[in-house]
Amino acid sequence: MNLFEIEFQKTFRRWRTYIGFAVILAAVLLIETIIKFNEHQMARNFTGGLGSDFLVSGNILNAWVITGFVMNSLYIHVPFLIALVAGDMISSEATAGTLRFILIRPPSRSRIFTAKFLAMLAYTALLIVFLGALCVGIGLLLFGGGDLIKFQPGIPHIVILPASVAASRTALAFLGAILSMSVVGSLAFLFSTLVDNSIGPIIGSIALVIISFILGNLPFEFTESIRPYLFTTYMGIWQLLLDDPIKWGEVIRYALSLLLYDALFFASAFFFFVRKDIKS
Amino acid sequence: MSEIILKTEGLSKQFGSRWAVKDLNLEVHEGEVFGFLGPNGAGKSTTIRMILTLLTPTAGNVRIFGRDVRKERGEILSRVCGIVEKPDFYLFLSAYKNLELLGSLTRRLSRDEIYEALEKVGLKARAQDKVKTFSHGMKQRLGIAQAILTRPDLVILDEPTSGLDPQGMKEVRELVLALSREHGTTIFLSSHLLTEVEAVAKRMAVLNHGQLIAQGEVTELMGGGASYFSISAQPMEKAVGIMRGMPWLEVVSEANAIEVRMDSARASELNRILVTSGVEVSSLAPKRTLEDYFLKITEGASEV
Repeated sequence: MNLFEIEFQKTFRRWRTYIGFAVILAAVLLIETIIKFNEHQMARNFTGGLGSDFLVSGNILNAWVITGFVMNSLYIHVPFLIALVAGDMISSEATAGTLRFILIRPPSRSRIFTAKFLAMLAYTALLIVFLGALCVGIGLLLFGGGDLIKFQPGIPHIVILPASVAASRTALAFLGAILSMSVVGSLAFLFSTLVDNSIGPIIGSIALVIISFILGNLPFEFTESIRPYLFTTYMGIWQLLLDDPIKWGEVIRYALSLLLYDALFFASAFFFFVRKDIKS
Repeated sequence: MSEIILKTEGLSKQFGSRWAVKDLNLEVHEGEVFGFLGPNGAGKSTTIRMILTLLTPTAGNVRIFGRDVRKERGEILSRVCGIVEKPDFYLFLSAYKNLELLGSLTRRLSRDEIYEALEKVGLKARAQDKVKTFSHGMKQRLGIAQAILTRPDLVILDEPTSGLDPQGMKEVRELVLALSREHGTTIFLSSHLLTEVEAVAKRMAVLNHGQLIAQGEVTELMGGGASYFSISAQPMEKAVGIMRGMPWLEVVSEANAIEVRMDSARASELNRILVTSGVEVSSLAPKRTLEDYFLKITEGASEV
């Protein structure tokens, strides 16, 4: 068994890890069922602004549209589920006292640290893939396919992607979502190395996401100027991937920014952890 | 003299302004059970944490198998294992899985090896039970199982009998002795119980307030000089009367049992005198608490 397998097993043999999956399962089921029961009203509301100027036809409320709608939870709700596990990766071992049992074994701290980080990334990726598969799967079952229609602030106000590319674009958007959630994960992971309890890192990282998100959305000159430095600014990368056409320059800029934050959080946590006196 | 397996040189650790361990020089020889004795808070665990690289020493270094543990950490620690403070495990995993995950950090392990380690500590039947269902004594034994699992050359046990009932303590001591006898494993065992160190160790070091007080053969450190003895005898008044007349003995207390201070070498002589004087001696035993021992050592030091 290599170090990653060991950490992966520890992560996925805990009940806590499945809270995220259970919450997503319940939420997606609930949301999509409610939409199904109120389909006509939803469709009317959805197209309300357009009905007077355009002729709307076809399957408006389809799997892709609803998936795009659910993806908005990636800003606050899903980060909480990521932090629940990522913020606990190291601190839970410090609390339980097992950290000193793994750190007296031959593998260096840096290797153990990296293995834990990778296990956290694996959890993040699996959770997002699960969210995507579930949204699309149940969506197709209840509503069927169609064009991917996205409403957004600014110009153009409405983006319509034909049914033929809806699946591949949605997959691409979820890949972007994995990248943006990895930043939340590495932030919570960083906090997890700093303290010996689990609540602190979870609350701390979520608080930072919320504050940063709010700051980034305030329409003032000051907040405009700090927006480029907030990691939450780039968390919306998945939105860019649903544009038509995709502005690849922007996508790359967002992706690199997210990777930079990942690297920054990883490196800070790493240097703290390898030098840390283990007193727990 | 046998090879030195573990050596600390001027090992020191400072927390804030307090020295938890100061200028500690230990020498542990190959194949021996080495007792690391000291009261709670003396700095035993801090020392063990420095030996096993959990803490960075403020000064000094640790050499294991003749090599600097900080420079060749991985290679050295593949031949060393132990328990640091209380044995903590992944409570949500089985005993087997805990050993598998921890042991795999050292090397590849077969199923049989894991079961063998569990059997040695009497936990084979509970292998698949989650550790959260285990009693403290069982966790302590599982701790020993994980320490010996990969067959290390040096095993470091931090207070392995702490929190155990007398039967549990006895079992752990027997386990330690068997490990030393059958596999020639060098064992470094910390304890705050003098009787424990006496029961298992050949050599020992005594630590108090972070500083080394004594180091050497247990029998040499314990024997010789004045010791405290507890005596039960009937009739008590008569026994006390006789003993008060002895110039080489001091009666310290006669409240419940009689306590005296004398040269250990004269214990059998005292017993003979009492018996021939018509006193029935039901017990005459050395009092070996750490406190008495410290008293003795510090007295010895002041005499020098």
